[in-house]
Amino acid sequence: MNRITPVALFLVIIIAAVGTFAYFVSPSSGSSSQTSSSYNSTMEITLYANANGWNYNSTHPNPTLYAKTHVLLEFKIIEQDNFPHTFTINPGPNESQSNAFINVNIPAIPGTVVWVNWSFSSPGLYTYWCVVHPETMVGQLIINSSANSSSSPSVIQGSNLGNGSTVNSVEYWAHEEF
Amino acid sequence: MNFSFELAIFGSTIAVLIIMGFLLYFFVQDYRKSLLSKEMETAPKEQANAYLSRIRRELSFSAFIMDDSKSIGIRYLITSLAFFFIAGLAGVGMRISLWYPNPSYLTPIQYNILLTEHGTLMLYGWATGSILGLGYYLLPSLLKIKKDSLGVLNSIMYWFFAVGGLLLIFSKSTASWYFYYPLTDQLTQAGGGQFSFAALIGVLFILTATCVASIIFLKMIFLDRDEKIRISSMSLFVWSIVATAILIISSAPISMIADGMVIYDLINPIYFTGANSTALGYAIMFWFWGHPIVYVAVIPAFGLIYELLPKYVGKPVYSYSSGVIALLLLMIFSGTVWGHHLFNSGLGTLWDMIFSTTSFIVAIPSAITVFNWIATIWSGKVKLTLPMMFILNAIVDFIIGGVTGVMQSDVGVNALIHGTYWVTAHFHFILLGVTTGMAFAAIYVLFPTFTGGRRYNSAMGKLHFYLTAGGTYVMTIPWALGGFEGMPRRVAGYFGIFQSYQDAAAIGGVILGIGQLIFLINFVYSAYKPVTISNDNILEEASS
Repeated sequence: MNRITPVALFLVIIIAAVGTFAYFVSPSSGSSSQTSSSYNSTMEITLYANANGWNYNSTHPNPTLYAKTHVLLEFKIIEQDNFPHTFTINPGPNESQSNAFINVNIPAIPGTVVWVNWSFSSPGLYTYWCVVHPETMVGQLIINSSANSSSSPSVIQGSNLGNGSTVNSVEYWAHEEF
Repeated sequence: MNFSFELAIFGSTIAVLIIMGFLLYFFVQDYRKSLLSKEMETAPKEQANAYLSRIRRELSFSAFIMDDSKSIGIRYLITSLAFFFIAGLAGVGMRISLWYPNPSYLTPIQYNILLTEHGTLMLYGWATGSILGLGYYLLPSLLKIKKDSLGVLNSIMYWFFAVGGLLLIFSKSTASWYFYYPLTDQLTQAGGGQFSFAALIGVLFILTATCVASIIFLKMIFLDRDEKIRISSMSLFVWSIVATAILIISSAPISMIADGMVIYDLINPIYFTGANSTALGYAIMFWFWGHPIVYVAVIPAFGLIYELLPKYVGKPVYSYSSGVIALLLLMIFSGTVWGHHLFNSGLGTLWDMIFSTTSFIVAIPSAITVFNWIATIWSGKVKLTLPMMFILNAIVDFIIGGVTGVMQSDVGVNALIHGTYWVTAHFHFILLGVTTGMAFAAIYVLFPTFTGGRRYNSAMGKLHFYLTAGGTYVMTIPWALGGFEGMPRRVAGYFGIFQSYQDAAAIGGVILGIGQLIFLINFVYSAYKPVTISNDNILEEASS
């Protein structure tokens, strides 16, 4: 047996174990580490998922949405055709799946309702779109800072646990409405 | 053209790497030649590899470049041991975090990452990897194989396995080890993790390697073995590998198809969200493999118990034929019980009753196996060495884990304990006591061969055993008690009423972790002792 082999084996195993543990608990880079922030009020936004465009059968397809920070946006997404869709939001004016922090599937059964709840902490320009139909189903979401953002929120989203981390609050459920 | 300093550094680095690669290759070829005998030096590679696979082999990193079966086995053993310590540290980290009811030093997302990595790496990396390693290492000696072909394929499949494990680590997936469909598809940290697709590809890589290795095991057993070894007198470890290989080949592809469909669903969700399919479809396809994988983890351990028990008792196995029949029955029944993971998912009462019945029937071959061991111990005189202590602990743990498993087969009881720590306690008894314990027993038995005639430190080995066995009980019995009261598993926090159970389990987890560290220290410490014994071992005795 080579004299180096046992020590090399020991070091490889210890370094691998400790290194991967540090990697596992290290915070992820990128915007996907965003979490839904606390909110003062709620706002419901209804969107119809159609392969030709969001709200295609209305007067304003792919509407530009305006909202404020620290407001819980309750997206009510209703499937309109037989095609699979996703509801995806990423920061910036362009579509970017790697930066998306919301990416929820909408089942391809007409009438299915999917709720996505999210409250933004930082103002800016966001893009909402569908991964399956990126050409047609894409719109802008503009978040302005709310005037009373300095006041303490009346309701805390999620439970404040341990060292100040909040439970992420993408919650969605589906039920069929015929 | 101007002189570029960066380019010079880059070029010379590449040149040095190429030269080092050549040197490494020639060093390993030299090592290989030193192992071969005079007449084998000029023999074709197939025969030379067969010769290499039959002789006693030491642990060496050269195995990563050679491609005979024993080298492949050493590769798998080293890699799976690394995965074991990675996943083990993740497990201990989770235990410590659960000391307080509220998530303490781990956020829920970090906890989910550790949970997923612990599950996937322990099952795919350690349980499967160590079995493949022991299979590749022991089968050529037990069967005295005539030729050792397909070395290149074995080598490629090993790298598939290793890269698959690295992809699992890289992914930091939070989807838990079964990658259920709607969760895996949410490529966010709150969903299945940003890179859970990488975890799916890693699982596919590992399953591909496992399937191909199983086919090669069957080829080795039925085509390449020495004519003098009749099929009716093959050792029971070989029979357990036969059962495992058939089980893997018949069930893993279903899960691979499901994984492929989920990867497609990430791009274009049509399979499991479409109008005529449901997410339950993925669960069914997954558990068709997800149940056999746990038998894949234990059946070779049964084979090792059958193989080692007679050596320490001094009498042959009480009943060879019933042992073979029980192993093959386990193989057949384990393919029919997967539905008991979905008792509360709405398969329907009739299916629930069918799967409940088949799950109860599995108790019969398991009981045959256990009574066979007990009868063997009864007929002889027990020599209480370190591997024998692991064997006795494995039998006791299997009885406890088996009885708790049979209780879960009842549909009514299952509704009560589904998703609680009771289930975690059940499979940790078996996977810690039987799979991990027997892998360590085999490593202790093979230690003189691995290190070229050195003896492991018996006191440290016994300490390792007591900490492992004791830690298992301290950790899993509170889980079982709390689980029966409804303590939910897979969560980063819990209700305050369960704190005493969780604190006891945390102590057990830390004890287990310290025990494995002692094993590692013992391994390195003893490998530098002077050579005192021959490099023979009782597992490969049949070949010399």
